[in-house]
Amino acid sequence: MGAFGLAAAWFGVVVFRTSSMVRSALALLFSMAAIGGMFLAMEAEFLGVLQLMMMATEMAIMAIFMVMYMMDPGGLSGMDMTHQKRASLAAGALGALGALAVAVLADWGPIEARVPAATAQVRELGIEIMERSMLIFETAGVTILTAMIAATAIAIQSRRR
Amino acid sequence: MNFVAVLLMLLAGTYWVAVLEDWVSTGRFRPAGPVLSGLALLGRESLVPRKPDRIFFEVAPALLLVSAVLAAAVLPLAPGLILADLATGALFVNAALAYVMVALLMAGWGPDGAYAMVGGFRFLGQLVAYSMLIVMPITAVAMRSESLLTTEIVTSQASLWNVVYQPLGFVLFLLAAMAVAFLPPFDLPTAPGELAGGVEAEYTGWRLAVMRLGRAVLVLTVALAATVFYLGGWLGPVLPPWAWSASKTLAVAAAMLFVGRYVPRLREADVLAWCWKYGIPLALLNIFYVGVVILGVA
Amino acid sequence: MATLTVALVVGAVLFGIGLYGALSQTNLVMIMMGVELMLGAAMVNLVAFWRFLHPEVYAGQMFVLIVMTVMALEMTVGFGIATGRFRAKGSVEMEEAQDLKG
Repeated sequence: MGAFGLAAAWFGVVVFRTSSMVRSALALLFSMAAIGGMFLAMEAEFLGVLQLMMMATEMAIMAIFMVMYMMDPGGLSGMDMTHQKRASLAAGALGALGALAVAVLADWGPIEARVPAATAQVRELGIEIMERSMLIFETAGVTILTAMIAATAIAIQSRRR
Repeated sequence: MNFVAVLLMLLAGTYWVAVLEDWVSTGRFRPAGPVLSGLALLGRESLVPRKPDRIFFEVAPALLLVSAVLAAAVLPLAPGLILADLATGALFVNAALAYVMVALLMAGWGPDGAYAMVGGFRFLGQLVAYSMLIVMPITAVAMRSESLLTTEIVTSQASLWNVVYQPLGFVLFLLAAMAVAFLPPFDLPTAPGELAGGVEAEYTGWRLAVMRLGRAVLVLTVALAATVFYLGGWLGPVLPPWAWSASKTLAVAAAMLFVGRYVPRLREADVLAWCWKYGIPLALLNIFYVGVVILGVA
Repeated sequence: MATLTVALVVGAVLFGIGLYGALSQTNLVMIMMGVELMLGAAMVNLVAFWRFLHPEVYAGQMFVLIVMTVMALEMTVGFGIATGRFRAKGSVEMEEAQDLKG
């Protein structure tokens, strides 16, 4: 799991260090895939596979949008696309340190060594979705529909012109 | 032992797919064709275009091969003849096939060529069209088997194959599978005669050989997936299970290769429009129908 | 103990990187990538909590599913806005978007 974690963090850094936009989007993809690998290592098989599947599509679409909207998608002219560097570096470091402090210092209580088998997990997660958390799940579905309509409405060219 | 046996079977199947593809596209049956053209490719120089994105250029063919093999790894050839019987097998097939698109996007962007890039981005558009039509029919299949285990999916078809149980899902899945493997009429990313090979345009020598191999494995994998999900996998009388899997898979592959030959290549916009306007409603209808039948039977 | 800490440390580092990216980039799409990284960090933490503290409570996995949904939604709406902005002004640079201030 540590290896996947390192890979995730490394690719996360690459996202903001490379100047080629497609590389940046695919680095984010591999960071997310490494997170999916961490899920698999933590024996959350369904979530890991789902993460691998969703992120492949999401990040590839991100890549095409970056090529569409960036001024310099190939990163050949070496433009600087950042601002307020020092402040954001400080904020990032501060955020990471805060979270690290909590992670290390807090008392997390006893660790469970055993975990249900993967088949049982899939089954139980399905029952959770369709029973106790059904309303939440349905809300998520309706929210997706709303977002789809809203995004299309924003993006579509107005006919009046 | 099993591991080696499965790999050997996949390799043999890939070889036959390559022979079949050669047969339908040239009209001549040459059993030694893939070996000869493979050797010819290996013997040639593998050029690297000017100013490539080197990482993508090198990784893309390998990623295509790996994702196709990973998708095949969760599909059973016979009881026990499976590389990894994952609890989420049916979902894993989708996950692995999604990386085919990533590989083609890389192959399109990497070599810094106009045709290749158009091909890569076309395949991304194609993914937006077909991906739902892969997931939704598989959902209906998993509804019947009440499990995501691919072996359970096969045994659930012991009384009736899914192709009879949900023919609509089978047709949609087969079309989507052809789109995944970019077979004609969905061969938009390579588009011979229009894009000069598209994503394959800048690849030569052994890199092209790896890419062609990955494509052949991909065709075999989607045919195997159709067999497992709809044609009852290894089930069948008299013959041993693996022979049933093999013959069904090759039959599906041959059908996919043969049909595409007589249909003109579709336009990108048409593929997207038809998939979303007709395909997805039909897939939802299929899910609804299967749900009603399951509740009716129970 | 150790594995939980490893997961949480990875989560913290990813969160820091994502925060830095979201604040320092000038392009809307790059800012969204920073946000995605932060959400990814949140997911790592959630799965770690589920696995090592309460593996029998599936609401933890459910929460991860919801975060994945949020990621997809954020992309949808973000790209919708980016498309609209690009149509109107021809760029998605955030420093040029001062005119959106009321």
